[in-house]
Amino acid sequence: MSQEPIIKISQLVKKYKGSSVNAVDSLDLTINEGDIFGLLGPNGAGKTTTISMLCSLMSPNSGSIIINGIELNGNNNELKKIIGVVPQEIALYENLTAKENLKFFGEMYGLSGKSLNDKIEFYLNKFSLKEKSDKLINTFSGGMKRRLNLIAGLLHSPRILFLDEPTVGIDVQSKNVIIEYLKELNKEGTTIVYTSHLMEEAENFCTNISIIDFGKEIAKGTPKELIKENTDCNNLKEIFLKLTGRSVRE
Amino acid sequence: MNRLLASIKKELLLLSRDRAGLAMLFLMPVFLVLVMTLLQDSTFKKLNEKQLPILIVNHDADTFGINIVKGLNSANFFKVSEDNNLSKKELEKQIEKGNYLIGIIINENSTNLIKNSIKQKIQSQFPEEVGELFEIDGNKTDQVKVEIFFDPVLKNSYKQSIMGALKQFSAMVEAKLMFEIYSSLFDELLEIELKPTENFSQLVFFDEKYAASDQNLIIPNSVQHNVPAWTIFAMFFIVIPLASNIIKERQSGVSERLRTIPGSNLIGILAKAKTYFIVGFIQAILMLMIGIWLLPVFGLPSLQIGKNGLSLLFVTIAIIMAATSYGIVIGTIANSEQQSSIFGSISVVILAAIGGVWVPNFMMSDLMVNVSKISPLNWGLNAYYDIFLRNSGLYDVLPSIGLLVGFAFVCLLISLYYSRKVKT
Repeated sequence: MSQEPIIKISQLVKKYKGSSVNAVDSLDLTINEGDIFGLLGPNGAGKTTTISMLCSLMSPNSGSIIINGIELNGNNNELKKIIGVVPQEIALYENLTAKENLKFFGEMYGLSGKSLNDKIEFYLNKFSLKEKSDKLINTFSGGMKRRLNLIAGLLHSPRILFLDEPTVGIDVQSKNVIIEYLKELNKEGTTIVYTSHLMEEAENFCTNISIIDFGKEIAKGTPKELIKENTDCNNLKEIFLKLTGRSVRE
Repeated sequence: MNRLLASIKKELLLLSRDRAGLAMLFLMPVFLVLVMTLLQDSTFKKLNEKQLPILIVNHDADTFGINIVKGLNSANFFKVSEDNNLSKKELEKQIEKGNYLIGIIINENSTNLIKNSIKQKIQSQFPEEVGELFEIDGNKTDQVKVEIFFDPVLKNSYKQSIMGALKQFSAMVEAKLMFEIYSSLFDELLEIELKPTENFSQLVFFDEKYAASDQNLIIPNSVQHNVPAWTIFAMFFIVIPLASNIIKERQSGVSERLRTIPGSNLIGILAKAKTYFIVGFIQAILMLMIGIWLLPVFGLPSLQIGKNGLSLLFVTIAIIMAATSYGIVIGTIANSEQQSSIFGSISVVILAAIGGVWVPNFMMSDLMVNVSKISPLNWGLNAYYDIFLRNSGLYDVLPSIGLLVGFAFVCLLISLYYSRKVKT
């Protein structure tokens, strides 16, 4: 895998209006091309805010973000072409069928005709949704919705995929299908930036990890490196609790 | 273009599956226009035709009594009933019960009293040397008294109209009697027999016309008011499903996902505006068709839409633009569906009420007429009135179109400002 940085974040600061603290506080991150990068942290650590700024959904107060050599500014259309976003919410239309949802998002990415239809068929088969493809998604289970939510972010074959807790609250089978396909996708060259609360999943899935808390990076490295550095911990979960504390967050 | 078409297609699909939204957009206005037109039909009839029920007790079977009853009957806006056997108390009771709005008692011998008064007045014009010209019937020279009883609910304007009518008829009778007495005097003094005047009518003719540019005048009635009024109301009710659609998209995370897709964020808003524009246009056509063809089935007059189709088209477009933009601004600013539906529906109802949808402007107080000018529904309604009732052309309705389009742009600018503010 290439070790060229595809995402470089320098001194990134985000402070929400009315808040006395920075949600993201002078954050520096480097994500290499081909990584499965895990951005981990407790609730309110600044993970989703960081992902939102990377996807140009939010502007930082200061600092810079460079993705694939392009610095994020007001107009990020070139960048948007190479990224795929899978939000934490099921960002789909409940009153459209699975096919109609995918067709709409595909067309929004400029895809059309046979190539779009073929992609939709491929992904529906891949994620075992073919049989229900003509059903309204308000009839779908949580796992089916999550799988469809992922497909909607993959249709345009992005080089970088941002996943905000893609497996939260779903059955083991759905989780397995999603993780296995993401690994496959990464092998084909897609860089994955992923946030999760599931430490075991992150430990097995990620090639590189950054743990952030109160908007700052508090640890980084491969899962193995982190375990090696923290000799008193046996796994990522223990490291996470050691670094971020055991008190419950809001 | 492909993205815009995809968005419009998606909006149409979503709308077609929203049964409650469709019912609100199409069934509610049809129901409203039918019910409100039927309800207000009698009010408009009263206003236009003034068929006020009158009960007359006529004890004077002579010129005065007969002519007053005849005159009231000939004026189409009174529904006259005559019962000469009723006592004063019985008549009052009928009015109290609300069976009649007005009761009139014409006392016995009224004609003779008038004649005596006229003769006395003529006599006083001649010098004493001429002597007695007439035989005046005893001392019966008292003023004639016509007793009128009003239902307390009767509006002052109706009282004025009945009083005006009675004064007019009695003046005509007085003049007729005077003419007859002078004729007999001519005959007696100069031995010239005058021919009887068969048709003793008003000498001044009041030519009443409506100030409309075209001679094919359409008289305002409940249909001419209610159909355009409720059409505009329905078009503005687009606000609720449209705002709800925007909020749902925002809350589900779809709008954020769409913002990560290359291209202008305006496409989503444009697609919604265009979709609901189509809906508004269908609503307008449907409501006009109901006014023209369905309402006559219920015994109501058919809607007359005037001759200026182009003005009608542009005004309709401007109203839909204003309504969709208002929906977009509410959907952008509101934080929840409940908030948008409560604010959206109440604000539209208030704007409709002050805009003259419920009660036409000409029935409002001066204060409310001025207040109504702030409502976009009033701008649209006035423009429709101009086209339907006054046959106004495009130039005449341009100020209303300008106001509606201006309102739409202000709403869109606020939405844009607000959505950008949220992004940062």
